[in-house]
Amino acid sequence: MTSRSISIGSGSAYSTDRLDWAQELADSGLVDYMGFDCLAERTMALAQVRRLDDETAGHDQRIPELMRRFAGFLRRGGKMVGNFGAANPAAAADDVLRGMKLNGVAGVRVGVIHGDDVLDHVLDQDLEFPEMGVTAQAIADQVVSANAYIGADPIVELLDEGAQFILGGRIADPSLYVGPIAYEMGWALDDWEKMGIATLVAHLLECGTHATGGNYVDPPYRVLDDIVHLGFPLAHVSEDELIITKLEGTGGAVEIGTMKTQLAYEIHDPAAYLTPDSTADFSHVWVEEAGSNRVRVGGASGRPRPDSLKVLVGVDQGWKVVTEISYGGAGCVERAQLAAEVVAKRLEPYQSGIDEVRYDLHGMSALFDGQLPGGDPAEVRLRIAARCDDRETADAVAFEGQFLWMGPAGGGGVTTQMAPAIGVTPALLPREDVKLITEVIEA
Amino acid sequence: MKLREFAYSRSGDKGDIVNLCVFVYDDDNWEVLRRELTVEKVRDKFGSLVEGGITRYELPGTKGLNFVMTEALGGGVSMSLRTDPHGKSYQSLILEIDIDADEEIKPRLG
Repeated sequence: MTSRSISIGSGSAYSTDRLDWAQELADSGLVDYMGFDCLAERTMALAQVRRLDDETAGHDQRIPELMRRFAGFLRRGGKMVGNFGAANPAAAADDVLRGMKLNGVAGVRVGVIHGDDVLDHVLDQDLEFPEMGVTAQAIADQVVSANAYIGADPIVELLDEGAQFILGGRIADPSLYVGPIAYEMGWALDDWEKMGIATLVAHLLECGTHATGGNYVDPPYRVLDDIVHLGFPLAHVSEDELIITKLEGTGGAVEIGTMKTQLAYEIHDPAAYLTPDSTADFSHVWVEEAGSNRVRVGGASGRPRPDSLKVLVGVDQGWKVVTEISYGGAGCVERAQLAAEVVAKRLEPYQSGIDEVRYDLHGMSALFDGQLPGGDPAEVRLRIAARCDDRETADAVAFEGQFLWMGPAGGGGVTTQMAPAIGVTPALLPREDVKLITEVIEA
Repeated sequence: MKLREFAYSRSGDKGDIVNLCVFVYDDDNWEVLRRELTVEKVRDKFGSLVEGGITRYELPGTKGLNFVMTEALGGGVSMSLRTDPHGKSYQSLILEIDIDADEEIKPRLG
């Protein structure tokens, strides 16, 4: 018998990631699977708000482009797994089926995972929101969404039923890769050691070009030849070794430095990385060069997965407004500071409707709150940001920002952004309370 | 010398929590990093940016440290009014920390 292996590529790391470079990897013939993470913490809540406005919306808006770009990959038998469903897996499935028809893809089984939307449950059970110090019912009129992070189980189940394209809502980022790896390698989902290993590979792929030189270059210390056209990462997994690499001819790099920074990206205790699939231990992971833009990794292990699933709850927080104006030349800092004082005075009548407001000077202290003192800048940009109870108060903040045209002297380049403020806060739900339903549709 | 002379970092966010990992370019500098880059030095550099606790973890396999900072983003990406609500830029601030070990350290750029 031939030993089992899988080649899997990363296709997307967030809701608006670029699909053109991911298509290059899919079309290269190097990978059998592509994983697509399309959701950040806030994306899900914003998608739920879109769905409240329009029941046919709230899913990944790239699906038409996705189907056009990846029709060839699917026709060659490639498999795709993504959380394209966001707040509306059913609508995403409709778009996928439409896209397949339009692009001449036939005979493909589409697997759909429903049930990560646990809003009713969160409200019925009056779940605790520890970071906010309240329970669900106390702020029920503000709770707009609640989605449980779901694991690899339904993905493996759908692959077993012959699904070639799998989509769901809040599938946890690593699980998009853990599912295919477990299925192809024949690893049991309660083999915690193997789940730790699969989670390591997943974690190195899930952030796309973050692993191949994105968010890395810092001259003159960290320099790469070409970061114009980065390659998406891929993994070759076998019982003998784990290899991470990227498509030949693309820019960026897969090397020890890029791997290490991705290894520890967005993890807390490296000995206990909690996902729906395992408690992975990365503390003794090692990375070694295995050729040009090619590394070998190992040393991961795992312990049983958590009994609870993390739920991300979307909470309506009114309106957020940001308005900015620039000042240059001698005295620019003083004029910007004066402008901030004037706006603060002018906003006093609206104080009761403003939850929080801050005044920052780009070029001086906006990023680090004055923790890193600099010299005299040639120009500064005043940024006024406020979170308000209602649209009228947010409009008042925007108006006062724009009125800085009228002085102090020399203010220019006013911009204003305004949007509903949807906060997200975590909660925990016993695993058995999340009822997932899988569906297979023949396209 | 600055930490930047011999180490690199990346920051990431989950809710209102930031993690900041730091690795050495040259494995020979790992023990110096372990000894010198204390929670106290990180707290001092970040000051008012971090309102909660700071915990330090080690990654002996890759010779790295991971600092986890709570209440570090003014409410987290969805709520924060800060310019950089993800704390992406924090990786540059930690590299500004002064490390007093000039005689032991091999800097990245000779």
